[in-house]
Amino acid sequence: MKVRPTVQTGVNQKRRQILKATGAIGVAATTGAFSEVIYAQGKKILKIRAYGDLRSLDPAFSQGVIDEEIQSCIYSKLIQYKPGREWGYDLDAAESIEQVDATHIKFKLKAGIMFTGGHGEMTAEDVKYSFERIINKDLESTNAPDWGTLREVIVDSKYEGTIVFDDAYPPAWNIAMPYIVGNIISKNAWQAAGGKVDTTTPSVSGPYTHKEWQPKQKTILARNPDWHGGDAPFDEIHIFPIDDENTAQIAFESGDIDCTRVSLGSVGNLKASPPENSTLEEYPSLFYVWVGMNVENEKMADINLRKAVQHCIDVPSIMQASYFGAASPSTGIIAPGLIGNRAKSNVPPEMNIAKAKEYLAAAGMSDGVSLTLDVLNKAANVTTAQVIQATCAEAGITLEVNLHESGAFWSLGDSSAGERYKDIQLILNRYSMAPDPSYATAWFVTSQKGIWNWERYSDPEFDRLEAAAKAETDNSKRDEMYQTMQSMMEDSGAYRFLTHEATPVIFRNTIKPAFRPDGLPLIRGFTSA
Amino acid sequence: MMDALHRISRDPLGLLGLILVVLIIASALLAGLIAPYDPIKLNIIDRLQGPSVDHLLGTDQLGRDLFSRVLYGGQVALKVAFISIAAALGIGVFLGMLAGFGPKWLDNIIMLFFDTIRSFPTVMFALATVALVGPSLGTVIAVIIVTSIPTYGRVVRTQTLTIKSNEFVMAERAMGVSTTRILRVHILPNVIGPLIILASMDIPTVIALEAGLSFLGMGVKPPTPSWGSILNDGYTLIRNTPWPIIAGSIPLVLITLGFTFLGESLRDLIDPKLRKNV
Repeated sequence: MKVRPTVQTGVNQKRRQILKATGAIGVAATTGAFSEVIYAQGKKILKIRAYGDLRSLDPAFSQGVIDEEIQSCIYSKLIQYKPGREWGYDLDAAESIEQVDATHIKFKLKAGIMFTGGHGEMTAEDVKYSFERIINKDLESTNAPDWGTLREVIVDSKYEGTIVFDDAYPPAWNIAMPYIVGNIISKNAWQAAGGKVDTTTPSVSGPYTHKEWQPKQKTILARNPDWHGGDAPFDEIHIFPIDDENTAQIAFESGDIDCTRVSLGSVGNLKASPPENSTLEEYPSLFYVWVGMNVENEKMADINLRKAVQHCIDVPSIMQASYFGAASPSTGIIAPGLIGNRAKSNVPPEMNIAKAKEYLAAAGMSDGVSLTLDVLNKAANVTTAQVIQATCAEAGITLEVNLHESGAFWSLGDSSAGERYKDIQLILNRYSMAPDPSYATAWFVTSQKGIWNWERYSDPEFDRLEAAAKAETDNSKRDEMYQTMQSMMEDSGAYRFLTHEATPVIFRNTIKPAFRPDGLPLIRGFTSA
Repeated sequence: MMDALHRISRDPLGLLGLILVVLIIASALLAGLIAPYDPIKLNIIDRLQGPSVDHLLGTDQLGRDLFSRVLYGGQVALKVAFISIAAALGIGVFLGMLAGFGPKWLDNIIMLFFDTIRSFPTVMFALATVALVGPSLGTVIAVIIVTSIPTYGRVVRTQTLTIKSNEFVMAERAMGVSTTRILRVHILPNVIGPLIILASMDIPTVIALEAGLSFLGMGVKPPTPSWGSILNDGYTLIRNTPWPIIAGSIPLVLITLGFTFLGESLRDLIDPKLRKNV
């Protein structure tokens, strides 16, 4: 609907005009005419939500999933995650790629992949530059650990190269090449820009280019006419940073975005009465949630007390109360579908108060004990904490729940941020995860004490297994090693595994989305239906 | 007292305020007798139920009876309000009289203290304090006391400054009466009336602040019921059930109306200019 401005004289006329215009805008908004306007302009725009704002367009300084969702649209990789329910990869910039032995991966690039901005064709030199700069200590890339034991990339010809590792590094296929550090950038462009970039980029080679970033508002990507894969499906992609899932759902329902993750609490309602012309899909998630116990704390040093707490926690009740029955109990830190996932945990998900009391008696605490549980102040966590508090009370364990805002919470276990790590007794925690088991166990080795290992768990055998599993190329052996490691964690009493949560996503039927098996969007794979 | 009650009863809004205040205070004090359930007892099977004969206001995400939680939440609200306002009033009156009656240098120091505290926005000050020392009922009370002292102190100081130049005070001084006695016997009774009104009108503000902090997870610790934490549950569950929001907001609305109407009625009663029937 068009509102043609006309020149009016007199206050009343103006007022009426404003009222009319406002009314027209209101009608347009309620009837969804705005989207018609967008299409009338001849642009196909995908509007999607991200849970945070852009922080960097440099793969070396990318801050996790949020930046990667944008970078994966504008840069090419040798391989990309395959959309669907099973983990796998599709070739992108690589015409062929193979693991020739434990420490060598050979690749051949497709010919004719062009970088924008006149930076020429992509060659093996660009791959070498892109990968090696990440592990260059002078650059101090925060993502260097993702490349594991990478030594170098040898350029064999214009399009061919060999990725060389010091030791076998199977996670390269799961968390390096198809993820953040696998983005290939233009050597020429980056060197001209001084070796690193921030929130702008000098050159891209993916299906979209970075058009504009409006901080805290949106990131706009535009179709790259020179993309080697043909015509990208959308003229523009608008990525909106919306932290809160309920807010994102409102944005979806009002037509402001075409796709978002929704909260687990909304799943029941959305299934019962789905918004018109939309689809809800549920994916398992890789996140892992657990209650950790600080083994170095004076009270928690007694393994019997830790085991008593393990048996006091009723995971099925938590699934109902905090996750609305939309998530399942976990058996460890490695989610189903990944190497190393356990079929069942050593401690059953259901509480066993009698057993808990036995352990309490063994700890000499039959008369009860008071402990603290530190929690990040978010709705699901607070609910979980209260369920734990109630069930622990049945065994005689009084829990004091300490809520923390995110800044205070994430520095709790950090030994460089003061002495507070010593006071942690029980802590409800949740870490994100990439699709390789090494990404989960890496945080619980002895050297991570006071960094991410807030339970201060330490076992030389665990450390040995962690290093060995990372370099093991036989998947069945890896599987066994990671399962053993999770058993060791659980047997130490320092961990009560709760869930991997779930990822419910909703999208409009006008688009055909592409998701990883854990429900994260692969935006470059979205098309219109 | 009976005369005051009689006067209030003739003002419809004042009477409504009095009834609401009495009702809420009584329901909080008698929560142990009235509440049909333990406010912290979980019943996951009966979670997120609507109002019924068993659960008058329904249940929350943990199956806890919302009516019982509202009643016990009243205890927390009133505990915070009465303790913090009484303490702030006591300290404020003392410092205010000291500033008004004492030497100029002491007045300057106390006023500097008042102005410093008042320069912090209350909610910001509360959030910063809670972030530093951790959330608890004690922290909330302490924050309210500290931020309320200057309000009462300033009123008392001004009143004291006015009264101290009166002839009867000068006469007392001439007779060699001690400062303490002058303050206690002659000044305090003259300044306390308006303060009581001020305090009664502050009660809903203090309760709203406690509820606000608890809403943000920075007030009382779980599982203690608070109207603010009930509201927070309601905010989270708004797409599932409206009842926690309703349960948390009704008492806040009622107590605000009650104390405001009562306070205004009391003010009319004390201020001769506003007394219509004198």
